[in-house]
Amino acid sequence: MTLYGENKVNGKKLIGAMLTILCWLPFQLQGEEEREPYDDRYCTTCHGADGRGNFGVQAPRLAGMEPWYLKRQLENFRTGIRGAHLKDIEGMAMRPMAVQLTDEGIADVVEWVGDWNYIPAQVTIEGDSAVGKQLYSQCATCHGDEAQGNEMLGAPALRGQNDWYLVTQLKNFKKGWRGSESLDNYGQQMMPMAQILADEDSINNVVSHINTLGKN
Amino acid sequence: MNKLVTRREFLNLLGSTGGASAALKAGAALGLLPAASIAKPLDLLALGSNNKKVAILGGGLSGLTVAYELSKRGYDCTILEASHRCGGRIFTVRHGDLIDEIGNRQYCEFDEDPHLYFNGGAARIPGFHHNLLSYCKELGVELEVFVGENNNAYFQDDALLDGKPIRVNDYKTNIRGFLGEMLAKSMSEQEMDKPFTEQEAENLLGIIRSFGDLKEGDLYTGSSRSGYKTGGYIAHGVQKDIIAFRDLLQTQLGNQIFTAYEGDHGPSLLQAKGGMDNITAGFLRKIGEQVKYHAMVSAINVSNDGVEIAYDQDGTRHALKVDYCFSCIPTHLITGLEHNFPGDYVKALKYVRRGDAYKAAFQAKERFWEKDGIYGGITKTNNRSTGIWYPSHGMHQNKGILLGAYNFRGGLYHTNMSQQERIEAHIKDGEKVHPNYRNLVEKPVTIAWHRINHMLGCAASWNRSFGTWTQEEKLMFDTLQAPVHGRHYIIGDQITVNVAWMESAIRSAHWALEDLDQRVRTELG
Repeated sequence: MTLYGENKVNGKKLIGAMLTILCWLPFQLQGEEEREPYDDRYCTTCHGADGRGNFGVQAPRLAGMEPWYLKRQLENFRTGIRGAHLKDIEGMAMRPMAVQLTDEGIADVVEWVGDWNYIPAQVTIEGDSAVGKQLYSQCATCHGDEAQGNEMLGAPALRGQNDWYLVTQLKNFKKGWRGSESLDNYGQQMMPMAQILADEDSINNVVSHINTLGKN
Repeated sequence: MNKLVTRREFLNLLGSTGGASAALKAGAALGLLPAASIAKPLDLLALGSNNKKVAILGGGLSGLTVAYELSKRGYDCTILEASHRCGGRIFTVRHGDLIDEIGNRQYCEFDEDPHLYFNGGAARIPGFHHNLLSYCKELGVELEVFVGENNNAYFQDDALLDGKPIRVNDYKTNIRGFLGEMLAKSMSEQEMDKPFTEQEAENLLGIIRSFGDLKEGDLYTGSSRSGYKTGGYIAHGVQKDIIAFRDLLQTQLGNQIFTAYEGDHGPSLLQAKGGMDNITAGFLRKIGEQVKYHAMVSAINVSNDGVEIAYDQDGTRHALKVDYCFSCIPTHLITGLEHNFPGDYVKALKYVRRGDAYKAAFQAKERFWEKDGIYGGITKTNNRSTGIWYPSHGMHQNKGILLGAYNFRGGLYHTNMSQQERIEAHIKDGEKVHPNYRNLVEKPVTIAWHRINHMLGCAASWNRSFGTWTQEEKLMFDTLQAPVHGRHYIIGDQITVNVAWMESAIRSAHWALEDLDQRVRTELG
């Protein structure tokens, strides 16, 4: 376990991002010198140490996420393409944070996330990865044989993500809690694909296969 | 429409499920109830020259308790607090204070005045929470009475009397009258024969009659207990009209009238003078220099001979190596740290669910409730805001802070709204009680604990089914209570069976301290 050392938090960048956000806050009054400054690392409160995800609040791993995908999701949350479905409790918690972000703020967050060390995610679910491999062949068309993602197709990498989060999102797509927004072009493609996975076992199987492709 | 039952049928129903003799047996069991224990001083070994380092993760009340007690005994304590303040869910909001909700950061705009504060977390201290009260005494934290139950406050439900708010007293008096009448009538000959002596039966009837303020023939014909319609001082009082029994039964709030102020919520209640965070301040006067703020833990590595902690502060990752670690970081945030905890420990950490309690408050431009005869106490409403709390302090001042919403188990309802939507919802709910509410309140704050930075939750919940714990849940609780390698303790109200009380946080700290003390005594021989 890497406890400390290599991974410095980039405070300067962070403060830059936060100052940008500050300008957006309608309730921020000028000249209130005693007030607690806006200086906190909100991402890691939910997304865990170094953005490795937190099961306890169901927040996904950000470390290792492709910058283009992270950017798109932050924008989607900001516009309400994601995080507006009333059943998506965690998405609804993400949205108000994203709404605070300017384009520059998003760029800075994406850069900050890029600074975090990636440590392979732990396997936490059980499934039949051999069966999952069969099922995955359809996913591979967009997400790649090694679940490495495909920016041209707008399909994110799946390997390296926390398995419990993949399970949750597949269920959300199946139920239409994610992807049913008409402006969510990529989510709209994903929603019918998720229907291929007939039940919870199928979901666990396919994610178990993705676990075998683990990003290093 | 449900089938109607006569009062007689209802009483038969009661009789068939136990009746008076069953009640008598239940009464006998009362002797077995545990007495409220008296706070006893902690008997912990003072270290002398044996230097031991301790890390306390989180400056919540349990963490402060551990730091205070161990520092007294010569331990070298460091408190790492992720946020800008200590106290955890002891959170008093005043002019200019930050409410660090993720995605909805607020600064409190209340006027700057010592009595204009809002206890956004802990707000009540029962008189029998001895350990907490004994710290208040030791640390010089002044206390004053907190008014919970107030007969002059209101009871409001859209289903009751067309939504017209009625005084708690009116509801209570009338429901007691009807219940008393039913009870008295049920004291028939054959029931009196068996379980009671004649004297006992007579005494019981006396209690029932006074419970309901019954008149001749054991009839409830109204009561002056909730005051008079007119008169009562110079002129003779004219009795208020009875509220029909059926009308009283239209509200689901009725079940709260005799239970809302029992147990931990029962009188007498106290609060820290000037804000509940004066308790935090009391501890910090002793150990404040040991706190590192904005110090966010990222990793915990426990071994047989100590604990290694990594934390971020000022843009740098720091290391801290200690002999023992006490963590009041919420379980659902511990799961997001790098750690080397054993599998069953992690399983238990993942099992605990975070609470979603929610509170909101307004500054009132004037103390309009006092003109209405209300001094402190709680109005109960059957809506999502659940009521209005009137301040127990600052009587007859110009302004005051009202609690405008408190939803303990259903807080996500308002949490999921925008700030404007939340406020509008509370104003709408409040207008049903105080018609001019909208114009009388200003400067709102909302405390959505589910989204407060570095907390992301309120009271932990351990059991999935209401009121009972499965064997597995009990085992997981024991697992998390026990220290990893005798080195890493989880503390806080989260690791008690009576969550959300300051006393519980202290009890959990004391449990851990006594466990540690035994280990240290053994080690030092």
